[in-house]
Amino acid sequence: MTIENKKGWISWFNPFKYGTDRWMYSLHRLTGIALGLYLIAHVWETSNILNGPITWNKIMVDLDYPFGQHFGPLILSLILIAAAYHALNGIRLTIVENGLMLPRPYRPEYPYKAKSTRGLNDVLKIVLGILMIITAAIGIIYIYTGVIV
Amino acid sequence: MQEVALKGFGEVVKTVTLRIRRYDPESGEPPKYVEYKVPVQMGMTVLDGILYVKEHLDHTVSARYSCRMGICGSCGMIINGRERLACQTQILELGKDLVKIDPMGNYGTVKDLVPDLTKLFRNHESVKPYVIRDEEEPKGEYLQTPEQRESYAMFTDCIMCGLCLSACPTNATDELYLGPQALAQAFRYISDNRDLGLNERLNVLDSKHGVWRCHFSGACSDVCPKGVDPALGIQLLRQLLTSNVFVKFEQKGAPKGPDRKSVTGVS
Ligand code: SF4
Ligand code: FES
Repeated sequence: MTIENKKGWISWFNPFKYGTDRWMYSLHRLTGIALGLYLIAHVWETSNILNGPITWNKIMVDLDYPFGQHFGPLILSLILIAAAYHALNGIRLTIVENGLMLPRPYRPEYPYKAKSTRGLNDVLKIVLGILMIITAAIGIIYIYTGVIV
Repeated sequence: MQEVALKGFGEVVKTVTLRIRRYDPESGEPPKYVEYKVPVQMGMTVLDGILYVKEHLDHTVSARYSCRMGICGSCGMIINGRERLACQTQILELGKDLVKIDPMGNYGTVKDLVPDLTKLFRNHESVKPYVIRDEEEPKGEYLQTPEQRESYAMFTDCIMCGLCLSACPTNATDELYLGPQALAQAFRYISDNRDLGLNERLNVLDSKHGVWRCHFSGACSDVCPKGVDPALGIQLLRQLLTSNVFVKFEQKGAPKGPDRKSVTGVS
């Protein structure tokens, strides 16, 4: 009898032994799930305003400092990095998944390095990576110092 | 000259352990790993290693192979965590003393390293991998320039080894997903200037488990042993479908077929 040998969802998070695109795919999934969970928590958090200003203020303080005063800003910074990555990589995917900035059919030559995951696609990754660092840096500076760069 | 090239050939360089996933359908026991010590010579491939085990250590180890030269596409397996052809992977090149060999994932396992490729062939068939024409009987040859032929030639190199489906993370959770192999072949025919079958293939491609399901993780193109770059085929197929969306596919039999020029650069 033939048995199942499905890799399952766990393989979404196994980028090892493949290329950069697979790493970015895994990160995209991970940040997507994190942002989804954050969104639910965020809606729940802000819905507490319905219970009056006293509850609201208490929730704000509790959430900011549940494990010491560094926890709130840290989580917020991580979410910010995740959001910047997810948004910018989403733009890259929108471009390349519509066949733009990809090579046209070519003649494969040994050792058969695929061109679709390299070339202009790599340039896009670098540009968006730089944008991501800038975006995240601006946000994190604001979170920690309140200064808008 | 020849002596230099052959120097060291045939000598045992070191002993490597092959850790093979065994599954015996008759015993009904879950798969388990069994280790075999194999003396490795220069140039010895993983397939040679498996055959050594079969000859000298355990006759019951099963694997599928035929050509031993990367042409038939029978010997796909997961070697040290990556999809590879066993006959194209030299043991010494892996640089490890332990080589872990698993059957391809996302397919059923028939026995040991033998995957059940029914899904691969079913998906391939479903995209109608042949030139579709309007007329009942051909009246002459269908002409093609060298450039037109070159514009899809790379996708004809597919040997149907199925490694790409095993590496694909979408296939890992969506059993019905067409997969990189079938989608790249769909593009190969749709972008062929002799073909008029876009409409006939559309209901399969433009479906929940079709071309839009790809997330471009590029793993298929990373592992493809023939450089087919199926991920490129899928993205270009999407471009072809979206750029033709205003050109009403219902004009069936329109002699020119879809606008290929914007996608392949050749009309
Ligand atoms: S596209 Fe490449 S990896 Fe996929 S079946 Fe064809 S030859 Fe194998
Ligand atoms: S045995 Fe034919 S491809 Fe490996």
